[in-house]
Amino acid sequence: MERRVLVDLVWYLLILGLVAIVAGFVGSLTGIGGGIVIIPVLIIFFNVPLIVAIGASVITILANSATTGSAYIRDHLTDLRIGMFLEIATVPGAIIGATLTVVLVQGGLAQALVIALGVLLVIIAISGFLRHHPPFVTEFHPDARSRRLGFRGDYHDAHLGHPIHYEAENTNSALGIMFGAGLVSGMFGIGSGVLKVFALDDALKLPIKVSTATSNFMIGVTACAGAGILLMAGYVNALIAAPMAIGATAGAFAGSLLLPGLASRTVRIAFLLVVLGLAIELIVRGVGGP
Amino acid sequence: METPPGRVHPDLPPPAYRDMTRILRVGLLISLAILSGGVIAFLVLTPSESFQELVASNPIVTYLNLYSLLSGLASGQVEAYLTLGVLVLLATPIARVATGCFFFYRNGEREIAAVTLLVAILLIVGLLVIGPLVR
Repeated sequence: MERRVLVDLVWYLLILGLVAIVAGFVGSLTGIGGGIVIIPVLIIFFNVPLIVAIGASVITILANSATTGSAYIRDHLTDLRIGMFLEIATVPGAIIGATLTVVLVQGGLAQALVIALGVLLVIIAISGFLRHHPPFVTEFHPDARSRRLGFRGDYHDAHLGHPIHYEAENTNSALGIMFGAGLVSGMFGIGSGVLKVFALDDALKLPIKVSTATSNFMIGVTACAGAGILLMAGYVNALIAAPMAIGATAGAFAGSLLLPGLASRTVRIAFLLVVLGLAIELIVRGVGGP
Repeated sequence: METPPGRVHPDLPPPAYRDMTRILRVGLLISLAILSGGVIAFLVLTPSESFQELVASNPIVTYLNLYSLLSGLASGQVEAYLTLGVLVLLATPIARVATGCFFFYRNGEREIAAVTLLVAILLIVGLLVIGPLVR
């Protein structure tokens, strides 16, 4: 009997690891991130409570971000100055978001959070379908803060074969969007890379490669802020989080060996369809009750 | 001086990029090694727990204060090592932020260094003050 329980447990943990490998791989390949798949899968297929799933996801994101983020820093694609400056908005957002989730769950509102997560994932999936990368900006209008703090740079685009220059603008808007991204990240344990890229691409007008690298750089610190709250509040279950973190790291590493963020449109659409399906199932479950 | 493969002119000295890359990689590897060992040891030493029992109970919750953690580590408790693995993973981005603060300060960029220091303080306050408060 005891041996059978052990075998079952080993299987569960192995399947969790495999799910994380796939989520990390496809998430890294599409640039969308794996967290938006991991939480619904844990809730729907493993009957894990929402807040425990969020706790496992933030640990997975931390591991994932360290893998891909370090590669981008090594290649000097990350704008360290802009990334570190914007963390002043994402970190308080994540702390408030994670605290809010703990309070809401303790207040018996976990089902409402499940519905909210489902709606959020629907929005993320739809925005992913509609999103087109903006063209390179050639005229720059940096604001006073951007000029003062040196939010500009150049990188050599290997694909285009020439250097790309950029100068950040709209830093106030970017700070506002980043606070929202941090809040969402802390509340639901997702990287909220989509929101971060909105701030970096659309508000600051950074080139896509710099914004993707800088977003990855920031995701780890934002997740760390939420993870700290969830861990100390007792909602990080290391035995569930560990196989997922290991799997996601392996998947993200494999994905980063191929062209990260540059997967074919078919892979991206298939991934977003999976997210959409999981989101709808979450909403149905949330409305139907536990 | 090593020529960076991406940027035409680096905005911070190359050691900043190198050290941050190393911190993230080493922190991740140490954390995953501890967590992997912890999971295997847990499966070997606690074979009677089912997955749903595992979800319902949180094996590391006992070790979330320094005294319990150190005693647990000294007495070889698997759950204490799992807690340590998670804490190392959390400490990795905090160490990365602290490294960034150091390099910005040394580069004479006081405003960004101050912002970065504030981020590090917020992370530590979240972990050590707000988390235990909402428990």
